[in-house]
Amino acid sequence: MNVAEAVVVEGLCKEFRGRLGDRVMAVNDVSFAVDEGEIFGFIGPNGAGKTTTIKMLLGLLFPTAGKASVLGLPAGNIEAKERISYLPESPYFYEHMTGAELLDFYCQLFRMGTVFRRKKVAELLDKVGLGKDGNRTLRQYSKGMLQRVGIAQALINDPDLLFFDEPTSGLDPIAHKDITDLILSLRKQGKTVFLSSHQLSDVEYVCDRVAIINRGELVRMGTLEELLHAGRTIVTLAGASAELTEQVKPLAAHVMQDGELLKVYVESEDDVHKVLEAARGKATLVSVVPQKQTLEDLFVEIVREGRK
Amino acid sequence: MIIWAIAKTTVGDALRKKVLQVFMVVAIGLIVLSLSFSQTLSFSSQRGGSADLMLLKSFGLGMMALAGIFISLILGVSLIPQEFERRTIYTILAKPVKRYEFITGKFVGALLTLGITTGLMGLTFIITVVAKAIGAHQLAASPTVGQIQGAGETSVAIFDANMIWGVVLVYLQFMVLSSIVLLFSLIFTTTVNFFMGAAVYVIGFMSTVVTSLGGAEGANNFQRAFFTTIYYVLPRFDEFNIPNQLLHPETQVDNMAFYTLKMALYGLLFVSVTLVAAILIFERKEV
Repeated sequence: MNVAEAVVVEGLCKEFRGRLGDRVMAVNDVSFAVDEGEIFGFIGPNGAGKTTTIKMLLGLLFPTAGKASVLGLPAGNIEAKERISYLPESPYFYEHMTGAELLDFYCQLFRMGTVFRRKKVAELLDKVGLGKDGNRTLRQYSKGMLQRVGIAQALINDPDLLFFDEPTSGLDPIAHKDITDLILSLRKQGKTVFLSSHQLSDVEYVCDRVAIINRGELVRMGTLEELLHAGRTIVTLAGASAELTEQVKPLAAHVMQDGELLKVYVESEDDVHKVLEAARGKATLVSVVPQKQTLEDLFVEIVREGRK
Repeated sequence: MIIWAIAKTTVGDALRKKVLQVFMVVAIGLIVLSLSFSQTLSFSSQRGGSADLMLLKSFGLGMMALAGIFISLILGVSLIPQEFERRTIYTILAKPVKRYEFITGKFVGALLTLGITTGLMGLTFIITVVAKAIGAHQLAASPTVGQIQGAGETSVAIFDANMIWGVVLVYLQFMVLSSIVLLFSLIFTTTVNFFMGAAVYVIGFMSTVVTSLGGAEGANNFQRAFFTTIYYVLPRFDEFNIPNQLLHPETQVDNMAFYTLKMALYGLLFVSVTLVAAILIFERKEV
């Protein structure tokens, strides 16, 4: 195995059986690798198999077929768990505990001594902005505060690999920004982050590579540059004749007359040059505007294709 | 350390369960009220002090057992499923926690919770009986009542050490029952588990009936084998209630400390088997 790979998944499958004997393939032959030190986005619609995949990587669920390794060790291995952490979607904790007690409890799961724990808990509460709220019970915490304490429990062991499942879901803009900043700071520290999220703008903002899963199958994977092609360029011309319009049509994906203006939607850079060449002296160039495809556009396109 | 951390958290969580608190408070209340209840009986029937104390002890032990059985069932059935429902199990098992550590921690937490509730009920029970014994002494010492009851009744002991063994035995049966319910919680749904646990207790409580059914005249080989298997496989809960003289008027135990030790070993054997089975099931359980 390549030592630079934090997660390796090969042909992973997970089939669930219903009470009536019906079978659902939640994850079907999924293969990918996550490099050490990268932020890997794992996106897909609800029920696509994201959380099931994460749970298999954590050893909470057992694969029906295929294999997965985490930090060079089989998924679920206790030694690997010393170096990883997990923030589940909408984390639930023991509500009777205070934030400090909860973190102390999780520190004990890493066999940390009392003095070290005390220092660590205070440090973590400060880090996630709960320094003054550590002695309040979790029952009194807002959703954002619970998410922060969830992040704090995920940082206890200074992990090399972090699994974040919807970390910014339902948060206010400030908490949202704090968490995306934290994820970026983790990359600077050389940590690997496996980020599952519906917040596509977050994924686009922080991730180095993205995998898109739909109906249990991995449908697309790559860097954002690879996934999001340059998109169309809109060449807007004024005073274009009918002859010019007919001339540029074969070069364009779509041509639209908007009053005096002719908008030519062109797919490639070469065709942009050809349209400009054709228009030289025959029309006035108003603008050339490149249109970049967003991750959201791609995501919607893939999900809709899947439905067909 | 991990087992202890999980156990402590389980205790903190369990003691906040309203239903558990209600059962404990009602049991404690009834044990205290039994003082006036037995006094009423005493004066109405002019029974002696020792008979009153026997009644009070049996009632107190019975109340503790009844409340504790419900507490054990309620605690045991929710111990693991609640971790799934609240999704707290994910963050715990994502840490370097071995599955056997989790199950053992939860069980130790349940035992500590039962220990605290039984301890509180037991303390109330012992104080109540001692208070009654002191009252009986004072009553017997008074010239009028002393003459009516006779000189023999003044020999009632104020503190009977067997009460402590009685409380320990009551606790031991909670320990066994909660281990069974914990095992069942990994197989059955919460409601089914509650009734299954209750059924195991009732059958175990009637082990003498079960064994006599197996040896009854006219029983065929299958019936004999069936009842004998039940007798040996299910815990014999009635044997934990020997100090309750209302339930076991004929049984006399010479050395209660030795008997309690014997039953503790029996209980530990049972708990070990069920706990190992629970761990083996949980090792392969998906969360």
